[in-house]
Amino acid sequence: MIRRKRKDMGGIPTSSMSDVAFLLLVFFLSTTKFDVKKGLGINLPPVSQNAKNKVKINPKNVTKVWIDAEGVITVKTFDSEELVPLNQLETKIRKIVSGNSDMVVSLKTDRKSKYQNMVQALDKLQAAGAEKISLSTN
Amino acid sequence: MAKIKKSNRPEAAIPTASMSDIAFLLILFFMVSTVFVAERGLKVRMPRAAEIQKIPRNHSATIYVDKNGTISIDDMVISIPDVNWVMQKKLADDFNVIACFRTDRNTNYGIMSDILNQLREANALRVSFEAKLKR
Repeated sequence: MIRRKRKDMGGIPTSSMSDVAFLLLVFFLSTTKFDVKKGLGINLPPVSQNAKNKVKINPKNVTKVWIDAEGVITVKTFDSEELVPLNQLETKIRKIVSGNSDMVVSLKTDRKSKYQNMVQALDKLQAAGAEKISLSTN
Repeated sequence: MAKIKKSNRPEAAIPTASMSDIAFLLILFFMVSTVFVAERGLKVRMPRAAEIQKIPRNHSATIYVDKNGTISIDDMVISIPDVNWVMQKKLADDFNVIACFRTDRNTNYGIMSDILNQLREANALRVSFEAKLKR
């Protein structure tokens, strides 16, 4: 007589597979950190090899913003000069720029001044709608 | 005699058998598309600003400057005069390269000005000062 063997079919339980998969998914979703770069953009002027490239600007169209070593901001226009606190810089520059589209804002920062002062001022200038900004130092 | 009709409605069920396939597909997608930042850079505390714009990643070359004035590009610590040729090389690879400054907020501006002059000489004229969003 041949005995019939009854074998249990071996199987991997797959019902919790989706749980594992979702767990991994959530882990990757939450740990993935996209390195988004954000900043204040500006275009530098090219180096002029000869004097021909130099453009003469009417001094009336230049506003100088001077940041000293301590971070004190002075705004110098053709006919005026005054100390301006950082929180009023935007409205001040907007007033100057809005009437004159050729206005060049020259941001001059002391070599010993902190980078943060310059970035904050540049931020305000861009917020005020100044399109022609030049960076310089003493 | 009243006949009671047996309704023969099929039970509504959402097929969940392929759920794990979808999940795995999503995992694979995220695993493949995630790019970990390979550059270690220098430790900097970036300044804050409000008017910041996104910088296209694929054109950016990051210049790290820490508060001691150490300059690092591609994890190579370099001196100020070397910025010129490093950026020229970058410019040769990508014409639209944007120099992104990751500078510590307490760095002296003098160093930054020197680097900016080097960038001008290298003709890398697109510059961006990275900052965190001010809230």
